[in-house]
Amino acid sequence: MKKMRLFAGTILVFFLLVTGAGAAGPDTAGPIKIGLMGNMSAPFSLSAKGAATMAVDEINKAGGIQGRPVKLIVEDTKGEIPKCVEIYKKLVMNDRVLAVFIAEKVEMGVAGMEIGAELFPEYPHVFFCTIGSGDDIWHRVRDNYKKYRFGFQTYYAISTNYLKILAPDNIDCFKNQIKAKKVAIVYEDMEWTKPLRKGIPGVSDSLPGIYRAKGLNVVYETTTSLDQKMFNPIFEAIAKSGADLIDCVVGYIDQPAFIKQWSQSSARNIPVFIWGGLAGMPPAWKMTEGKVTGVMVGSSLVRVPITPKTIPFMDNLVKNYKVGPIFGSHTTYDTLYGFKKAIEKAGTTGNIDQLIKQLEQVEEVAVLGSIGWHPQYHYNLPPPKYITPIVQWQNGEMKVIYPLKYKMADYKSPQELRK
Amino acid sequence: MSDTLLQIVIYTVIWGSIYLLIALGFSLICGVLRIFHLGYGVVFVLAAYLTWAFMEEAHLGLVPSILLMIVVQCAFALIVFYKGVFQRYMEEEEILLTVSILVFLAVAHLANYLFPVTAGVSIPSTIIDDVVTIGGVTIAWQMIIAALAGILVTTAYVVWFMKTRIGLIVRAISQNLPAALLMGANVNRMYYLAMILSVIPPTICLVVIAPFWGIDPFMGAPLLMTAMLISILGGLGNLKGSIVASYLIGFIHASVSFIFVPRFMGFAALIVTLIVMIYRRGGIFAGETLW
Repeated sequence: MKKMRLFAGTILVFFLLVTGAGAAGPDTAGPIKIGLMGNMSAPFSLSAKGAATMAVDEINKAGGIQGRPVKLIVEDTKGEIPKCVEIYKKLVMNDRVLAVFIAEKVEMGVAGMEIGAELFPEYPHVFFCTIGSGDDIWHRVRDNYKKYRFGFQTYYAISTNYLKILAPDNIDCFKNQIKAKKVAIVYEDMEWTKPLRKGIPGVSDSLPGIYRAKGLNVVYETTTSLDQKMFNPIFEAIAKSGADLIDCVVGYIDQPAFIKQWSQSSARNIPVFIWGGLAGMPPAWKMTEGKVTGVMVGSSLVRVPITPKTIPFMDNLVKNYKVGPIFGSHTTYDTLYGFKKAIEKAGTTGNIDQLIKQLEQVEEVAVLGSIGWHPQYHYNLPPPKYITPIVQWQNGEMKVIYPLKYKMADYKSPQELRK
Repeated sequence: MSDTLLQIVIYTVIWGSIYLLIALGFSLICGVLRIFHLGYGVVFVLAAYLTWAFMEEAHLGLVPSILLMIVVQCAFALIVFYKGVFQRYMEEEEILLTVSILVFLAVAHLANYLFPVTAGVSIPSTIIDDVVTIGGVTIAWQMIIAALAGILVTTAYVVWFMKTRIGLIVRAISQNLPAALLMGANVNRMYYLAMILSVIPPTICLVVIAPFWGIDPFMGAPLLMTAMLISILGGLGNLKGSIVASYLIGFIHASVSFIFVPRFMGFAALIVTLIVMIYRRGGIFAGETLW
């Protein structure tokens, strides 16, 4: 008899799980639960965790969202996709979170978005990819809005924006600040640089094409692999090409090795501009023993008050949460505030489509400008709404040289700075 | 074209010598202990992070930090790897390999936990912070110093193995272990010695390349790969083979980089190694001996 009951119970539980009878709409009372996952061995995820915790603490201190406290559940993916999928399921099905944040590379975001799409009809929730860049997230929303409408990408670094917004900004900086006429381009061999190398048919020319059209002569192009450690041949070739600027479309290569070798090569007096990554973080000075002097880089870690939130965010994160503000921390922090405002405008967490509609319209003051998402494609608002200044390493400090609105110092040549 | 040739010649010597320094210890372990030391990459991680820790946490100068780091390196090699792993699992190769790599990964993760990238780890070991131009080719002095270190350390090792009595015993063990035992060689002591000798070249290597190399907790993996590639190409455990293979890989890297594109240099070296392995299964100097 006991066995029969156990068997019947098991069948019932199985039936409930399979049919999704246990699922329901989002909670409308009690704490608003948010799940955050990332590779907690990686500095960017740790920084994002600190920033998320800070935002949640601030929101709770100010009375929560519509009087409801916010509860943050942090999980470690260890950088593994299967773990990310398992955690996503756990957060949505067991913890019943209203939102899942993936503060990790875009591959994790894609995995999360796929499992999220399967769960969404029965477990309505929203998903934010706060670090991963590229086109994988927003293309899903563009191509199948109904299925992926719950997904948002809080990183404007997408190919179209690179080519249509950032490239013209770069040209302005290169021509008017650096006075460069001949450019050497170094790409890293990654998916995100492909549209820049090849262009997007029907949408945009390639990066060299855009540069040439605006009067910059591209004299050298090469692609480097992520595992490359020896860059001397590249610098030798660039020196020979007569370039007067090295435009490095990189973010993930071994930047300390790249910079150290540049500073000890034939190309050492040719200014280097790096699109993003480690060179734009404060430890770059120490890591390169000051060889980063003169390097320009897109960095969101410079102490310039883009909004009233910028400096307090940086100070509070370091002082109270013991992590440095590196890429992904700003976007994670800002996403939480954008999310809060959307809930407040929606008036409830019970209707997920109403919340999604509000997320598509929301705009809130953020650390680096204003946070908000494209109403159709769900990537966050690009420059000039959300800004990554171009900084130059001068005497151990990052100084904004572009945009002019936030300029802290004039551009100086590497030769001059090394004196 | 003459410029390109000069570049290839110069960088073959420089990179070849650095690769030699990377691979020498690995080759030695292969030759003497007959172990494919998958934990070898840990030496580079310990060299960087211990030196950094002694400097930052104990506020020691660079030289005392390096000396102290070498002492800890040797102790780690003897206690953790030799006593803890090699002696215990000598007869169970798959466990030995697995545990070795696990130790390596554990140390790398610990380094990452204690000193993540935001800690800004670096070794200020630049000796000459300048460049020199040789016939139109500009090279960092530090690279030349690293290459010289590679040549000097290798020469010292070869002379020592060839000209000293202990070197003779080590070679005898590498050639024929049972015979060496019958002749009264203290094999255990020689193994200890080989373990210590194996950590010195990669340690020196890390110190001299740090001014132009990126330091991160997982830097040991690509360096281990380089050491393995050279040892396999040269003939496992054969120092003569390692010397030839280092310069051959240096030549391939330099040729591909300066004539074609740098991103294919690693791929080209792998293809050449594969071809050599097809025609000479044991590598260039296949043989059960250290020299």
